[in-house]
Amino acid sequence: MKFFDRLLAIDRRIIFLFVIIAVTLPLFSKATLHIEVSPMVKAVYDAVDNLPPGSKVLVSFDYDPASAPELQPMALSFFRHCFSKDLKVVIIGLWPQGPVQANIALEDVFRDPEIKAKNLKYGVDYVNLGYMAGNEVVIQSMGSNIHTTFPADYTGNRTSELPLMKGIKNFDNIDFIYNLSAGYPGTMEWVQFAVDRFQAKLGAGNTAVQAPGMYPYIPEQLVGVLGGMKGGAEYEIIAKRPARAVSYMLSQGVSHAVIIFFIIIGNLAFFVTRGKKKTS
Amino acid sequence: MKKIKSILFSFFLLLFLFNLSFPQESSDPRPPTEIKAFDTPNDNGHAITVIWKLSADDGKVKNNVVAYEILRSDSPEGEFEIRGMVPVGENLFEDKGAKEKKDKNYFPSHKNFYYKVRAKADKTFSESEVSKPAFAYGQWYHTGKTTVLAGVIVFSVFALAFINLAKKGKELYIRPLAGIEAVDEAIGRATEMGKPILYILGLGSAEMIATIASFTILSRVAKKTAEYQTPILVPCYDAVVMAVAQETVRAAYLEAGRPDFYKEENIFFVTSMQFAYVAGVNGIMLREKPATNFYLGKFYAESLILAETGSVAGSIQISGTDEIAQIPFFIAATDYTLIGEELYAASAYLGKEPVLLGTLKAQDWGKAVVIISLILGALAASFGFQFFLNLFRVQL
Amino acid sequence: MSTSIGVWIAAFLTLGIMSFLYKDNPIYKFCEAVFVGVSAGYWFVVEFFNVFLPKVYDNVGIAVNVLLVQGRVDWFHWSYLLGGILGVLMLLRLVPKIGWISRWPLAVVVGTTAGLWLINYLVSNAMRQIQSTIIPLYVAGDLNATIGSIILVVGTFCGLIYFFFSKEHKGAFGGAAKIGIWFIMITFGASFGYTVMSRMSLLIARMDFLVGTWLGLIR
Repeated sequence: MKFFDRLLAIDRRIIFLFVIIAVTLPLFSKATLHIEVSPMVKAVYDAVDNLPPGSKVLVSFDYDPASAPELQPMALSFFRHCFSKDLKVVIIGLWPQGPVQANIALEDVFRDPEIKAKNLKYGVDYVNLGYMAGNEVVIQSMGSNIHTTFPADYTGNRTSELPLMKGIKNFDNIDFIYNLSAGYPGTMEWVQFAVDRFQAKLGAGNTAVQAPGMYPYIPEQLVGVLGGMKGGAEYEIIAKRPARAVSYMLSQGVSHAVIIFFIIIGNLAFFVTRGKKKTS
Repeated sequence: MKKIKSILFSFFLLLFLFNLSFPQESSDPRPPTEIKAFDTPNDNGHAITVIWKLSADDGKVKNNVVAYEILRSDSPEGEFEIRGMVPVGENLFEDKGAKEKKDKNYFPSHKNFYYKVRAKADKTFSESEVSKPAFAYGQWYHTGKTTVLAGVIVFSVFALAFINLAKKGKELYIRPLAGIEAVDEAIGRATEMGKPILYILGLGSAEMIATIASFTILSRVAKKTAEYQTPILVPCYDAVVMAVAQETVRAAYLEAGRPDFYKEENIFFVTSMQFAYVAGVNGIMLREKPATNFYLGKFYAESLILAETGSVAGSIQISGTDEIAQIPFFIAATDYTLIGEELYAASAYLGKEPVLLGTLKAQDWGKAVVIISLILGALAASFGFQFFLNLFRVQL
Repeated sequence: MSTSIGVWIAAFLTLGIMSFLYKDNPIYKFCEAVFVGVSAGYWFVVEFFNVFLPKVYDNVGIAVNVLLVQGRVDWFHWSYLLGGILGVLMLLRLVPKIGWISRWPLAVVVGTTAGLWLINYLVSNAMRQIQSTIIPLYVAGDLNATIGSIILVVGTFCGLIYFFFSKEHKGAFGGAAKIGIWFIMITFGASFGYTVMSRMSLLIARMDFLVGTWLGLIR
């Protein structure tokens, strides 16, 4: 009985220690977990894979460095997929740090030999239009005219002078929108304004906190959603380019197992001690 | 010889006449018919829709149509330009353009245009007759959004009717909520223990619905604490929220007949940084050891940290938020939780303001309409009837 | 081990914040103060260069330029000054005697937001969701789809019943509400699990930074 009482009163710092060990030790291992690709992630992948070369994809970076561990791997594998398919990419951000994260992802993806060999040119194959304040009003404005919403790009060039932007006026000229979101403004605003108002086609990558809230929008309003780091790992698997997200899955799995273990023994101790108290 | 020549001549003459009467099958496909052009409905007036009856050779092996070209002109005899193409089997095309005159794809409104449709086979084509003139014009009302308008009107009627009833003093029933019933008990506990009450309005700004609902509950709680002379501490995240909270508590103390017990320094601003605010409130909990904590409003990632620290301090905790992601943490770590809309119901229940009660009732009636539509709709859809599905369809 | 000063500073701040897991201490307080201060400064700069300058300063500058050079009033660009004035009026809440004036720009914000959101929320989060829930309960030849449809409709129905406040939860109505709360709790449990996954992901990335980028123990 004392054992269960002691279990209930366990110092939380011991639990923290177990979790940190569970997270850190697997990082030293090269082993990976088997990852099953979910239909939602496959739907996003297929939507991009079916686009003909030269199609225009708009990527909205709506997150900051605090959510980068979950969303940056998604951004990287998405860019790799788009550039390998010769799709044209237009980058914007509704969060101030979003375009910065986009540039970091671009730097990483351009190190890939396959992508490097394509010799992609800024302004022709991809552009970064930067951040614009205004939240959902920015999306609504883009539905009319992207050039008036973003008159200049991230580095100050006039949007109308960029070759890629010459053929793009609004969402009618965009073949697919991909939103990486960590909060507000984010995927819900893109669904409400870009999809339900302007009939755009939308896929999303969300933090795991947000992802369940997006499920009601699938499949009519949202093609699919990548949820958290696991969603990023699934995309890497289906794209046949396992990278950071896949390498983290072992840590993820082990840490979850440790948490489940503590939940089970904690509940066991709770019910045993409660039963004993009732009896006494 | 002469006879043979005349026979041969007659033969070839007959052959020639035969060919004239029954010419070799032409490679031209049969033209599309019944072409109609009309203003595209529910738009800004810069598009015309063209429909036609498919060519009889559409999908046929011989003279098969491979595509349809749509041509337009300013006059029926004028020069026609190609406006677009649709694949075989399709009989609708929307000719649209920009609304700005300086745009190279400008489509003028209120100008007559004539259309014809060209059925293209492999090497040949045939054209329909020219359509009657059509011009584009904008609509003031989007008929596809009638459902939305109906929804807004129905809900507004419900809301106004119930607000009116509430103002007239009619009792509008709201079912009891576990978290609310615990409020009085929690305040009583604090009074017995001689410890203060900690009330946290969350991280929302003053215009957010959750914060507004929390103000109403704060008023009720403050009135009780005034009666019991129990101190109430309200650390605030937002300066405007602090100002409103001070007014709310002051008014509550006045209503309770204890204005002298009101202490403005108990309702104070901490910081507008999320985790710095949490650190500050945690410090208050660990130092003051309040008997009761209220977490009512808009919360984010700090919710579990606050609830855990309150639990360590030994406080009874009542929480409520409409942030779905944080509700599981409050359910796990606090004693009573108002889930989502229950927070708004609680503020109506405690505040008894006609507007709050009336809108809550209107929401309930709206939910009743939705529930009935869902059940009838699902049953109807199971038997193939699309009426309810079409009722809620919104065309954009 | 990294030789970059930025990595060492980041590692120190990470470990300083994580030291709170053991107990509150001066290093944690220092790191938190740095975080709060840098955040405040960063946000001020972002707001100034991304909101105030392009939206108010540049537009009013164009309007003034047009007035002085061309002698005409450019109403479009002058209209941005209205937003600037409303912003200044918001700051008047710091002055107790005329703090009431700040309610007016607040009313503009609340009213505009309500108008902007009303139709979008009604369409995206209500009408479209109702449409998606009106589905056939029986799907011929597909048992999984049939079970899924029934669960979806029953869960939505009972969840709505739970949040019906005009009737007490008794009898059949109470039974439906109980089923509803079970559905809601299962949903919250899944959401809780997802959130734990999210937090673990952030911790994994931080530990990877410490042992990999900083200490160089992982290649």
